[in-house]
Amino acid sequence: MTDAESPTWRIPPRWVLLVAVLSIVAAEVGGGSMARFKVELTRWARDGMLAHPKVHGLVGVRDVDERILDEALVKFDAGLRLFHMHAEGMGLVIIATSMVAATVIRSVTTRRAIIALLTAGGAGYPVGYLVWSVLIPSYGLERAKTIAEWLVWVPFGTATIVALWCLAGLVAWSMLERRPA
Amino acid sequence: MTGRAILAPAVLAALVVVAAPISSASAHHVGAYVPKDNAITTNFKQVKFSVQAGKYDVAIRLFDSGALRAEMRAHAATLPAGLEDGTRAALSAGDGPEVERRLMIFFAALSRNLALEADRQIARPDATAETRVATGRKFLEAIWRYYNLVDFAVASRDDKASVALRLAFDEAETYVKSPAAGVTPIDPAGIRQPLQRMAQVLSTLIASSSPTPRRST
Repeated sequence: MTDAESPTWRIPPRWVLLVAVLSIVAAEVGGGSMARFKVELTRWARDGMLAHPKVHGLVGVRDVDERILDEALVKFDAGLRLFHMHAEGMGLVIIATSMVAATVIRSVTTRRAIIALLTAGGAGYPVGYLVWSVLIPSYGLERAKTIAEWLVWVPFGTATIVALWCLAGLVAWSMLERRPA
Repeated sequence: MTGRAILAPAVLAALVVVAAPISSASAHHVGAYVPKDNAITTNFKQVKFSVQAGKYDVAIRLFDSGALRAEMRAHAATLPAGLEDGTRAALSAGDGPEVERRLMIFFAALSRNLALEADRQIARPDATAETRVATGRKFLEAIWRYYNLVDFAVASRDDKASVALRLAFDEAETYVKSPAAGVTPIDPAGIRQPLQRMAQVLSTLIASSSPTPRRST
């Protein structure tokens, strides 16, 4: 097969690009808000933790509780940072992978399904970090993590993984098909 | 080889690379927490290093404006009389060993108070086994954070106290560790005994290291 016969790159559907761009915009807004409202966010999280002493295992002794609150606040901040980084990165992953899918996959149904999984998974997964952060003050570190895992990370992460492996398989298949006998 | 022939394997490799790490169980990495110094331990280190460097003017300034002095005042009722004034006087006189001894007494007192409070909370009749383990673990961490700062000073003055405290601490830790699979968990109330021993060792250390109060004639 020559270059002239081979398919040209196709752009993914517009809604996919829109979702990817929105994910990147959300990441930027999140990152900017973290810096702009750092004090307010920390105060909100700390007040939330102090309102739920049993959830966080506070014992009423400052020397002990400060360490617990500090760890929760560090994780709260880490969740926001991870949302910022993942939303930025996954936006680009959505664009790149859906472009490969749009170009390589011939079957319309398969292409649509894989693009939908890549987009939903890629855009949804980073939200899990935001959910985790927001839930920490009320539910504690571990419980909040479990909720975020089952509500967001597992379903959306699985969607992305499945779609990526299917896409990798289809790219490999198309390479084998084109190989001269 | 055409550009397309090179690009296809590159795309495949990139997809595999992107898909592989997120398929592992560690995908939801949420960062690691490294405990930081609090205001008291930070100020202790500042004063200690200033004293070691012979910069007593700096040490006095850090002591006067720092959390150590504020805490000494806040805990005055449970500390040997004159500990705060004596520490400042030792700093003014440039007496390094005396500063070290007084700070050792202060941190021993903080650790003892924590051991006593831990014992009190664990003894509560409404505390469940889980709560006792969690409370014990947190208190042990806080006790060690303070005691560890002065362990060398304790060992160089009273090695028996240092060993006794370490043994009690090690024993206390066994009650808050997660048991191995198939092993019956130890009753967490047992931690009270080593905690009481720690408090006793530290009380004796404080009493023996504190200057004898002057008798009024």
